[in-house]
Amino acid sequence: MTSYRFVPHTADIAVELRAQNERGLYQAGVDALRELLVGTATVAPAQERPIEPRGGDPTERLIHFLSDVLYLYDTGRFLPAGVSASGVYGEPFDPTRHEAQREVKAVTHHGAEVESDERGYRATIVFDV
Amino acid sequence: MQLERIDAYRWRVPRHGGMRTDGLIFADDGLIRDLEGDQAVQQVANVAHLPGIVGPAIAMPDIHWGYGFPIGGVAAFDEQEGVVSPGGVGYDINCGVRLLATPLDIGDVRPRLKQLVDALYRTIPSGVGASRSDVRLGRRDLERVLRDGARWVVAQGYGSDADLEAIEANGSLPGADPECVSDRAKERGGDQLGTVGSGNHFVEVGYVAERYDATVADRLGLAPGTVTVFIHSGSRGLGYQVCDDYLDTMLAAAGKYGIVLPDKQLCCAPIGSPEGKRYWGAMNAAANYAFANRQLMAHYARQALRTVFDDEAAARTRLVYDVCHNIAKHETHDVAGRPRRLCIHRKGATRAFPPGHAELAPQFRDLGQPVLIPGDMGRYSYVLVGTEGAYRETFGSSCHGAGRRMSRHKAKQLARSRNVPKELEEQGIVVRAATRATVDEEIPEAYKDVARVVDVVHAAGIGRKVAQIKPVGVVKG
Repeated sequence: MTSYRFVPHTADIAVELRAQNERGLYQAGVDALRELLVGTATVAPAQERPIEPRGGDPTERLIHFLSDVLYLYDTGRFLPAGVSASGVYGEPFDPTRHEAQREVKAVTHHGAEVESDERGYRATIVFDV
Repeated sequence: MQLERIDAYRWRVPRHGGMRTDGLIFADDGLIRDLEGDQAVQQVANVAHLPGIVGPAIAMPDIHWGYGFPIGGVAAFDEQEGVVSPGGVGYDINCGVRLLATPLDIGDVRPRLKQLVDALYRTIPSGVGASRSDVRLGRRDLERVLRDGARWVVAQGYGSDADLEAIEANGSLPGADPECVSDRAKERGGDQLGTVGSGNHFVEVGYVAERYDATVADRLGLAPGTVTVFIHSGSRGLGYQVCDDYLDTMLAAAGKYGIVLPDKQLCCAPIGSPEGKRYWGAMNAAANYAFANRQLMAHYARQALRTVFDDEAAARTRLVYDVCHNIAKHETHDVAGRPRRLCIHRKGATRAFPPGHAELAPQFRDLGQPVLIPGDMGRYSYVLVGTEGAYRETFGSSCHGAGRRMSRHKAKQLARSRNVPKELEEQGIVVRAATRATVDEEIPEAYKDVARVVDVVHAAGIGRKVAQIKPVGVVKG
């Protein structure tokens, strides 16, 4: 079970991610990022793109993963659907089915911290838009 | 966070905890109230923690909550003991504004306004990941753009030497090193030169509605009713990627050099360290890309004017000025009565050099540097000039815009049941946008009233009002 919730931030967009494990946070982050990019349009897990894990702790790994997903969209218009074993599933942007909502410049490090307790994992991520 | 009032326009964040200096915020009572409930003031205090900071950590009246540094932040660092921080520049390196003055009067343009806005919308790609099929830079040309900035664009025939004279640093910052820019960043920038992007970036047609200093306004080509074109954009995906790449470098560097960070986004390295030098090379390269981007967009704006009006309208459209508002630069400032070399970070702040400054082109030497302050898309924008007061108090810096006061989420909710383009059209403003989301998130109410921001700047003496420009046509991403 993963979830995301946008939380107030004046200039940029902050999202709170929740999941049962670290990997689940990636899925919640991908879901949030997809909503920012193309709203609630369906994105099929038709193709896979590899993402090399980077970062020395869970927070850095999450930020890098989402940054790499954003890079795939920015350079190849590859929309993310879900997290795969070695990267991300998704499909190319299709103008007949997808409407671009906004440009997301970056996944910031501002206030980012992956936390865990008996209820699961939690992180807040600020996207620069 | 404790705030002490200094006078009607200045507030002190007293030094406490790990702060190495005070914070200084320029604002009136209302603007200070807008900061309640967010982290902007805390961010001013955080900047004051960084090593080698000289003078206070400063925030302009358009201050708002950013990431790392607040937006509207200015901080000076000693060249020997200080740091350089990608978070003090921002993701959109050399995001900036340029203002063109056309030879046309608003009376001539109104009947063909829709055609002009449509022509600008067609000619200058906007929106998410906007790219140009006609300007696809090969690796060698991209490296020339990174090294030479707007100068490269002019050398290709898109603009003139007169344009270069009216750009901060003549549109080409020294110290750019394309080798320090990653392949990823180059890939993200390869086909985006000459494009606006989305978010708060825009191309805006306006006219001179009011003048506060007719002599200076005349010298800048801003006669009453003159039609203008504002261009607001930066270094696009290339700059975002440079910042992202170097945040990783600087996080490691901060640990290596024992720098304690109150927020990871403030990660930094000593200016003279290998990490600091590489970021410097990459940042200046990205800044040059942004100068080139705005120069090319200005060329396409002239082309749109040619299409809708005539050759003369295009040829006689002059660049008033082009300023950076996300940048770090080496400058000399007087500190305690003696000149000192400093590294000035401006994040959402504009350089505002006074009359007589040696770095200004001859035509601005007796006026002071033009400072361009765009507002929201429904109200007005301002042209100011730099002052001695700014030079003395804010390391020659002024504000950069209205500053957001409402989250994008809230703005969207507010706009949901409305037709914002229609509302603006009823006010005489034609809007063309790639997506509805951008227009809704950018509704005028989402921003502070830029007139109040500019009035604080003027009253505090860190900028001087010259003219007000009202929008009549907006192209958004």
